[in-house]
Amino acid sequence: MREKFGWKLYLALAAMLAFLLLPFYWMVLTAIKSQHELLVTPNPWWVFHPTFRNIIDLVTQTAYPRWFANTLFVSVGATILSVVISYTAAFAIVRLRFTGARTVSTAIFFSYVVPPAILFIPLASVLIKLHWFDKLWALIPIYTTFLVPFCTWLLIGFLRSIPRELEEAALVDGASWPRIMIRVILPLSMPGLISATIFSFTLSWNEYLYALIYMVSSANKTISVGLTTELMRGDVFQWGQLMSGALLGTLPVVLVYFFFVEYYVAGMSGALKD
Amino acid sequence: MSDRVGVVNSAAFARPSGSWLRRMLDRPNVLGILLAAPAVLILLLLLAYPLCLGIWLSLTNAVLGTPGHFIGFGNYAILFHDPVYQEAVFYAFFYTICSEALKLSFGLGLAILLNRQFRGYRVARAIMLLPWVAPTVLSALAWNWLLNPQFSAVSWLLIKLGLTHSYIDFLGQAWPARISLIVVNVWRGIPYYAMGYLAGLQAIPKDLIEAASIDGATRITIFRRIIWPLLWPVTTILLSFSTIWTVTDFQLIWTMTRGGPLNATQVFTTLAYQRAINGGSLGQGAAVAISVIPIMLILAIIALRSTREGR
Amino acid sequence: MTEISRRQLMQLTAAGALAAGVSGGQAFAADTPMFPIEKGAKLQLLRWTGFIESDDAQWKKNTEAFTRATGVPVTIQDISWTDIQAKSGLAAELGSGPDIIMGFYDDPFIYPDKLVDVSKLCEYLSKKHGGFFSVAHSYGYDVPQKRWIAVPIGAPGAAVVYRDSWIKECGYDSFPTDFDKMLDLSRKLKKNNHPIGLALGHAVGDGNTWCHWMLWGFGAKSVDADNKVAIESKETYAALKYAKELYKTMIPGVSSWLDVNNNESFLAGQISMTINGISIWYVAQKKFPEIYKDTRNATLPVGPVGHQTMFNLFSQAFIFKYSKYPNAAQEYLRFMSEPAQMDPWLTGMEGYVTPALKDYTKLPVWTSNPNITPYRDALAHNHAVGYAGSPGRAAATALNDFVIVNMFADACVNGASPEDAARDAARQLKQIYGT
Repeated sequence: MREKFGWKLYLALAAMLAFLLLPFYWMVLTAIKSQHELLVTPNPWWVFHPTFRNIIDLVTQTAYPRWFANTLFVSVGATILSVVISYTAAFAIVRLRFTGARTVSTAIFFSYVVPPAILFIPLASVLIKLHWFDKLWALIPIYTTFLVPFCTWLLIGFLRSIPRELEEAALVDGASWPRIMIRVILPLSMPGLISATIFSFTLSWNEYLYALIYMVSSANKTISVGLTTELMRGDVFQWGQLMSGALLGTLPVVLVYFFFVEYYVAGMSGALKD
Repeated sequence: MSDRVGVVNSAAFARPSGSWLRRMLDRPNVLGILLAAPAVLILLLLLAYPLCLGIWLSLTNAVLGTPGHFIGFGNYAILFHDPVYQEAVFYAFFYTICSEALKLSFGLGLAILLNRQFRGYRVARAIMLLPWVAPTVLSALAWNWLLNPQFSAVSWLLIKLGLTHSYIDFLGQAWPARISLIVVNVWRGIPYYAMGYLAGLQAIPKDLIEAASIDGATRITIFRRIIWPLLWPVTTILLSFSTIWTVTDFQLIWTMTRGGPLNATQVFTTLAYQRAINGGSLGQGAAVAISVIPIMLILAIIALRSTREGR
Repeated sequence: MTEISRRQLMQLTAAGALAAGVSGGQAFAADTPMFPIEKGAKLQLLRWTGFIESDDAQWKKNTEAFTRATGVPVTIQDISWTDIQAKSGLAAELGSGPDIIMGFYDDPFIYPDKLVDVSKLCEYLSKKHGGFFSVAHSYGYDVPQKRWIAVPIGAPGAAVVYRDSWIKECGYDSFPTDFDKMLDLSRKLKKNNHPIGLALGHAVGDGNTWCHWMLWGFGAKSVDADNKVAIESKETYAALKYAKELYKTMIPGVSSWLDVNNNESFLAGQISMTINGISIWYVAQKKFPEIYKDTRNATLPVGPVGHQTMFNLFSQAFIFKYSKYPNAAQEYLRFMSEPAQMDPWLTGMEGYVTPALKDYTKLPVWTSNPNITPYRDALAHNHAVGYAGSPGRAAATALNDFVIVNMFADACVNGASPEDAARDAARQLKQIYGT
C-alpha cells in the first residue's frame, strides 16, 4: 500500500514542522548574534553579522564543559539504574507473577501521580539524613523516582507481548528462571529496553528542579542549572551564551534519537500491542 | 486474554538441582520479590516516605525553619476560600484540558503524516523531536523572547504578513498569557504524542486496512472504524502520562510568567512554590500541593481501568 | 544611630586581643582578626551571581586574600539572585547548608531565631565606617530579639535612567524632581513617540521598586506602624490615579515585564525613561555606544508627601546557627567589609552596589561620573519592606505575593478603579497579616 505522498500532505507536514522548529531556528540565530544585534535589527529572523564569540566564550569562560560532563554522568547513571531495576521488576511482575505482583504493579503506577515540584522539600530532609545532599551521584537514585514508574509500565506492556511458549519450552528443557530472564527474554526485549533507555535519558538530561535545589557546589551543576544560574546576571541575560548552551546541550540527545529512533518506535509499538 | 491458562507449575518439570541458593532463586515467589525489591525500595524511600512527610506538613502551620504544630484541615479550609487558589484550580484545569486535547490531535496528525516512508522520513522523525528534547527551562526562555512585547519575532512576522498592526502583548494580559502558555506546552508535547502514535500505527496490521479498502471503505471510515479503536490503548497510556506531566508542570510556567499577570496563570505547582518557598508558609504550600493528588489519583484510576491491567 | 555601649566596647577590645593571641603574628601584621577563628575552620558562602562580571571577580579576589590572611578556605557558590530564597529557606528548614548566605529584602526575618547574633560585628562596623543607613539597619536588626541577625551589605540601587536629547526636545534640561513635572514630561515624551517603560509584571526588583516608591510618595502605606492593614486610604487612591495617568504614557506590554525587559527596551532605543539599577548605563557603555552617549541617570523624583520615599533591592549576609564555624564566618564578613576589600569591590562595580555603610559612599568612584552619583544616594532616603510596619514574615509574604505590584497592575492594566484595586489588595494583606 505505497500510495503517493501528495503535495497537500507535504504542506501539512511542512506547516507542523515549521511550528515545531521555528523556535530552534531562532535559538540558532541568537547563538550567533551579538547582544547589540539581538536588540537592534531590521529583521529578527535573520543574522547580519554572525559571530562565534558566544560559543567560544561559553566553552572557555564558563564551566560549561564541566556542567556537560556532570549532566552526562547523571543521565547515563540514572538511565542504567532505572532501566535495570525496571526490567527486573517488570520481569517479576509479568513473567514470574509472584504473589502480590498485581499490587506492586498498581503501586508503581500510582507512584507516578506525586509531583516533584511538591516533593522536593520533604525529600530534601530525607537526603540530609542520608548525607546525600550536594552529592552529584545522589541525583541518580533521585531521578529513578520519576523514571522507574514510566519504564516499568512500558516494559510490563512489552514483556507481555512476548509469547509465553518461549519460556515454557525453556522450562521444559530445565533452564532456571534467572537463566530464562537473561538468556531468553532479555534479547527479545531489546526494542523495549531501547525505548525505555532513550526516554529515561531525555528526562534526566532535562531535569531542572532537583538539580537546582539539591546541588549546591558550582562543580555539581548540570547544564540547565549552570546556564540559568550563572548566565542570567541580575537583570542582564547573556542571551547568546544561554542559547548556545541550550543548543550544544540538545545536540547529543538529538544524535541519540537520530540513530535509535526506529528502535524507539518499534519498542513503543511492542509495548502497546494488545 | 487468557494469561492464566499458560501458567507453568515449575515443580512439574525437572528443575535444576544444585545448591540451596540456586533452588531458592528458581522459585517464582522468591525470585520475583527479589527482582521487584530494588524498584519498590527506592520508591518507598524517596517517594512514599517524603510524600507522607508532605501530607503531614500540610496538616500543620509549619513555616520555613519552624516545625509548627498540628492544625487539622486548617490550611485546606483557608485555601477553599482563597480567590488566588480558586484561580489556580481553574487555570490548572483549563491549561491541562486544552493542552492535552491539542497535543493529542496534532500529535496524531503528525504521526499519520510521518507513518510513510517518504524521502527523508528518518530525518523528519528525528528533528520533530527537538522540542521534546531541548532543556525546558531554556526553550521556555527562548519562547519568552519570541513572545516579548517589544522584541517578539512572532509579532514582527505577523505584522509583515499583514495580520496585525502592532506588537502583541502576549504575556501581559490574562487571556493572551493563558493561551500563550498552552501554545508553548503544546509545542513541547506534540513530539511525545506523535512518537507514541507512530508506534501505535506501526503496530496495526497492514492487511486489516487493505482488506477494508478493498471492501470499499473510505479513508475516514477506515480511520473511525479500524484505526482509532485499535489506537485506543495507546491513547490511554499517552494521555495518562502526559496529563500527569502537564498537571505537575512547573518549569515552563515559572520561567515564562511566574504565575502572572495578576495570578492569571497560577497553577498548583507555581502557587505551592510561591507560598512555601517565597512566602515561607510551608504548611500552606504543602496543602496546595497535596490538594492536587486526589485529582491525579482519579485520573490514574481511569487510566488503569482502561488499560489491560485493570481488566 | 546605633550607639555602642561602654561594656560592649570593652568586650570588643577583649575579643580583639584574644583573637590576636590565638591566631599569631602573621595575620596580626596585616589585619587583626576580631573573632577567634575555630581550629580547622572552613566556610561555604552562598551568594547571588554578580550582576556584572567585575563583581564576582573582585569578590573572589578578596576571598582569596582572606584565605591567605587566616588560612580559612572559603567555597563560594553562585546562584541567580531569584533562587537564593529557595536555597536559604531550605537551609533554614533542614538545619544544614552554607555557613553564610547573602540574601535579599527581609529573608533573614523569615527565620530570625535560626541566625547567629552578629550584633558585635555590626556595631563594630557601624562605629568604624560612619554608621549604617537607617534602612540598612532595619534590614539587619531584629527588633523583637533586640539583636542584629544579618550584616547589611548594600543595595543594587535604583535611579531614573533617561535619554537626554529626548527630554530636551520636550523642553526639560534635566529630569524633573517632582511627580507633577514627571507626568508632564512623560506625556510630552509619549507625544513625541518616545514612551516611558516601568515594569508591571512579577519583576522582583524593578516592579517592587517603583510601585512602592510611588505608593509611599503619596503618603500611602500597606500597613501602619502596628502592622494593621491601612491600604484603603485616599493617599492610595491618589497614587493609583496618578499611576493610571502615567501608565498611559508607557510603551505597550509593561504588564508582562520582568526585571530584564526594561534593560532590553532601553538599550534598543524603544523607551525614553525607566527606573533601574546602573546595569543599563553599564552595558550601554560597553556595547551600545550611541545609546550610551545619550543616557543619563538621575535620582528619583519626590512625591507629594514632600520627602524621598525610595524602595530598593537590598542584600545582607547572615550566618546560620548550624554553622560549625560562626567565628570564622563573622571574621570573613568583617574582613570583606573593611576598606582594603570593600574599596576595590565597590569601585570595580562602578556604582552597581550602594554600600550600607555611610563612609563607603565617600569613595571617589561615586563622583567619578555624574551618572554614578545618583546611585550613591539610593539608600539615603529609603523605606524598608513592609513600611510602615515592621519587617518580618508577613511583610516578606506580601512582597513575594506581589500584592502592591498587582494592585498597580490591576488599576493600570485591567482598568480597575483605585478603590476596587485597593480593596482587593486590602483583602490579601489582611489574610497575610492575619487580621
